Amino acid sequence: MRPALHHLGDRSLGPLLIAPVVLVLGTVIAYPLFAAIALSAFAVDTPTLRSRFVGLGNYAELLGADGRFWPALGVTLVWTAATLALQIVIGVAMALLLNRDLWLRSLARSLVLFPYFVSTVVAVLVWRWLFNDMFGLANQLLMKIGVIAAPLDWLGTMPSALLSVIVVGAWKFFPFVVIAVLARLQTIPESLYDAARLDGAGAWSRFRDVTLPQIGEVLGIVVLLRAIWDFKEFDLVYLLTGGGPVDATRTLPLIVYQEAFGLNRMGMAAAYAVAMMITMLGFFLLYRLAVRGRT
Amino acid sequence: MSPRLARTGWSLLAWSLILLVAGPLLWMVATSLKSEDEVFSLEPTLLPVEPTLEHYAVLLTETAFPAYFANSVVIATATTTVVVVLAVLGAFSLARFRYRGREAIASAVLLCYMLPSVVLIIPLYLLMVRLGLANTIASLVIAYTSFALPYALWLLRTFMAAVPVEIEQAALIDGASRMGAFFDVLLPQVLPGIISTALFTFILAWNEFLFALVLVNADDVRPLTTGVMTMLVSGFNIEWSLLMAASVMMSVPLIIILAFLQGHLVRGFGAGAVKG
Repeated sequence: MRPALHHLGDRSLGPLLIAPVVLVLGTVIAYPLFAAIALSAFAVDTPTLRSRFVGLGNYAELLGADGRFWPALGVTLVWTAATLALQIVIGVAMALLLNRDLWLRSLARSLVLFPYFVSTVVAVLVWRWLFNDMFGLANQLLMKIGVIAAPLDWLGTMPSALLSVIVVGAWKFFPFVVIAVLARLQTIPESLYDAARLDGAGAWSRFRDVTLPQIGEVLGIVVLLRAIWDFKEFDLVYLLTGGGPVDATRTLPLIVYQEAFGLNRMGMAAAYAVAMMITMLGFFLLYRLAVRGRT
Repeated sequence: MSPRLARTGWSLLAWSLILLVAGPLLWMVATSLKSEDEVFSLEPTLLPVEPTLEHYAVLLTETAFPAYFANSVVIATATTTVVVVLAVLGAFSLARFRYRGREAIASAVLLCYMLPSVVLIIPLYLLMVRLGLANTIASLVIAYTSFALPYALWLLRTFMAAVPVEIEQAALIDGASRMGAFFDVLLPQVLPGIISTALFTFILAWNEFLFALVLVNADDVRPLTTGVMTMLVSGFNIEWSLLMAASVMMSVPLIIILAFLQGHLVRGFGAGAVKG
């Protein structure tokens, strides 16, 4: 085996080693991707899988007056922007805090990771229990201190449903920001801060003039990744509110699922999925343009 | 302000925030240990007055939870094995060989990593039905590869690129073959990276929900994520203490990983997820 591979040399060994990956990703990603695009041109009934060619009809419908693309895009953008902003602010603040000399610092650092790695199912169950109308801790605490007079149906009314989803999302995903930023903070030489101190810089200007430029690049990547992941997040929103009340928290990924397996319109679901992907690509290009414009 | 006082102040602040962050999870553990009467009380207690393991006993003997757990173990282990083997070889190729299309493959992998699962789910569902794999453990292992493999590949490539090429070249000069040098020299060097990748893959597979929701619809193949949610909707009265016990049990592998292998997780972040 070994001598045979040796004789193959670099020329074929490299491609040979990557071949299984290409084959697998071709089957589970490339093929489904193109199949989804193709499927979006058909009207497909999910149970019977009977299909009829409709061209761009699905797109015309979903973008039209009766389509749900634009309202759902609005919800998706509000959810993404709000939860991302919270994640970044809390994440950076927590990273700065955990970069200090603290009691039991390594224990603190691993406890902070917990929400990120715990299953979304677990996270949602816990929060649904906290938000329970009668016996949930949220209502009981808020009633005790007199903020609300009667129990609130957190996940069943607006705007508290959307707010709850945003807060739980921030809680679940901010540790990603903490780990990324903390790793970078640890590499900033202390001498930079000493120099700033000599110049009489206060805490805020040290953060603005030393820390922020140093973590800027990492923060840019973190914002990009988290924006993409929040935009396409399905589990958290679906499990927390199911898109309700009515459609108030129904983001684009939830629409795709609902069209395919709730309303049994697989072609329409594929069209929503493709439209969502094109939107993401559009935002990604805008981001690239903005970043390039600045540097 | 003396440094010691400052340290105390910052520590108190940091730890109160951490308790706030961990609060929901501590509440989960507390609820799982409370008796039914105590859970449904209008005067909530922070800690269980009379801690009981009855919900854990019910969970393990009277529900399908143990079956779900076993399914999840099989699915996550199989996914991790398949993904790590493919990714180790693929990353070796991307990091150490030059050939046409290499950069294109690397960018495609990164792009795959950004792709929404909901785009792939419908064609994958149709594919599994056509192959007769719907409602099998295999369908989930195959589907999970779609998001775990690009990530694993990217992570391992970064780890391998960080190892100096000279050590392998020395082995080659001593007469080792490319694969020999890979197994004897490079692989031991990137072992920590492989452990990180395996842990990440395992957690991703363990926690996955959407594919399990769509591809699997029978109790004997259902993993924990969808299984526990079925327990939530199937009961007439939601038994929160039982669900909290299920949540705790479901998080056990994670608690073990975070307690003993936290360094490997953090290294995974540093290498692949962020530096890209």
